[in-house]
Amino acid sequence: MSDAAIIERLRAELGAKALDVTNPDVRRIFLRVAPADLPATAGLLRDRFDMAYLATVTGLDLGTEFEILYHFASPVTTVNVRARIPREDPRLPSICAEIPGAVFYERELQDMFGLIVEGLPDPRPLVLPDDWPAGQYPLRKDWKHERPAEIIPGGTS
Amino acid sequence: MKFQIPIGPQHPALKEPISLRMTVEGEVIKDADLRLGYNHRGVEKLAEEKNWTQNIYLMERICGICSHSHATCYVQAVEKLMELQPPKRGLAIRYLVSELERVHSHLLWLGVAGHEAGFDSFFMYTWRDREVVMDLLEMISGNRVHYAMNAIGGVRRDIDDAQRQKILDGVAVLRARSAYYLTIGANEPSFVGRLAGVGKLSYEDAVALCAVGPTARASGVARDVRKEDPYAVYDEIDFELATADTCDVLGRTVVRIKELMESYKIIEHIVKNLPAGEIAVKAPRKAKPNEAVARYEAPRGENIHYVKSNGTDKPERLKVRAPTLANYPATVVMLRNGFIADIPLIFAAIDPCICCAERTVELVDARSGEERIVRWSDLRRLGAARRGAGLKGNAVWPL
Repeated sequence: MSDAAIIERLRAELGAKALDVTNPDVRRIFLRVAPADLPATAGLLRDRFDMAYLATVTGLDLGTEFEILYHFASPVTTVNVRARIPREDPRLPSICAEIPGAVFYERELQDMFGLIVEGLPDPRPLVLPDDWPAGQYPLRKDWKHERPAEIIPGGTS
Repeated sequence: MKFQIPIGPQHPALKEPISLRMTVEGEVIKDADLRLGYNHRGVEKLAEEKNWTQNIYLMERICGICSHSHATCYVQAVEKLMELQPPKRGLAIRYLVSELERVHSHLLWLGVAGHEAGFDSFFMYTWRDREVVMDLLEMISGNRVHYAMNAIGGVRRDIDDAQRQKILDGVAVLRARSAYYLTIGANEPSFVGRLAGVGKLSYEDAVALCAVGPTARASGVARDVRKEDPYAVYDEIDFELATADTCDVLGRTVVRIKELMESYKIIEHIVKNLPAGEIAVKAPRKAKPNEAVARYEAPRGENIHYVKSNGTDKPERLKVRAPTLANYPATVVMLRNGFIADIPLIFAAIDPCICCAERTVELVDARSGEERIVRWSDLRRLGAARRGAGLKGNAVWPL
């Protein structure tokens, strides 16, 4: 099935939920949905488009918003589902009920971007090092690594 | 009676740091918890501060065994961003190195599997033969581990006719040796019995948990990026997708040996049909704002890189997902209801590359945390069901 046919079917099945569909390259379809529609979209892709395989989830810091990209793949194409959530209230629903293999990627988002994934089956914080300070999200653009001053026991520096 | 056995992060059986916490009842693993992050390097954050060329070498250092994989996946994405079309000869050499790397990685894995199964002569054979391909890689690239072959827009080194002949000779040796491993496997019932039925991962679980690579293919999931999303040269090359339906470590072994044979075919095809011409085109220093997703079939499974550019010479975002990370949820399922003695074998069977998986985060597996009480009668029933299941005297080599 060609990308064009899949896009046509996506538009037909999703209706108004499909905010934006682009196809910048062969076998690369980008679909934008509202965050609340993510679980339904994941279920639809799994059941109707043979896309039970979620390759990974990418988080992006766009400044005032966060973008989340779910990279789904089927034997014929890939659909990259994106959603945007505001920085002040970074909440999004979990898709683990539809795609059980997504749990690690969603927890990675929680850890690295400070997003709140609602409905994660195991919402334990993803511990960076055990003594990682709260509220530090390394992949946010405003996060800068500061190397702690090295203290040499008995030394002067 | 539940008991928790911690393995790692530092343990003689582990080559890289990871912490496995096994909840066991007697000899049987009831649950497994993975704690990672001991090898965390923050590569994704670092990549945002390096320019496009520097990042090739950073990506190459994500992994030592499949170093070419990450670098290739990254340059595939960047070439899309920059709308570069590398010359055919450059692509052929790039993917020739990819397949040679797959051969070395699978031979290495076969040795590890033999070692973990207590069949050390197999380990010594495969690792001796792996030197053949290591020598070829050193001849082509000058390096045994980090080949540094990739450039944005092609490759950095050409190969000449004498080298082509040496590659063909080496592959002929390796093909004969791999055929010999198949004979060994088929005629060594204790080896087959040790691998059969260990680390079961059903087709449904492999699909639901998004397993990749030989782990998924051994559970009957015919998933290979080279077939599904044929990049660069793979749509012109005839090769077969290796799968198995035994869903166990034996299947994963067979899949890898079959893949070795397919890789030899691909290598010979590329070397014999090497196009003439340039090996690289000049790449611009900056990329205009855009985004690209690149997929690549590494020896362990699919690599996926997402790259976003912002008009400068540095990426806005570089996301890396290594295959080992995708296989961790499946590993927990494989370990469940296995024996303690099978842990090294099962864990080795996904061919874990911990430094790959930990380029950026650490993970803790989802665990129910609820205590289950198992009655003695149930345990005895389980024990009875397992009797005779340990060593499969009648298991056959499925090739």
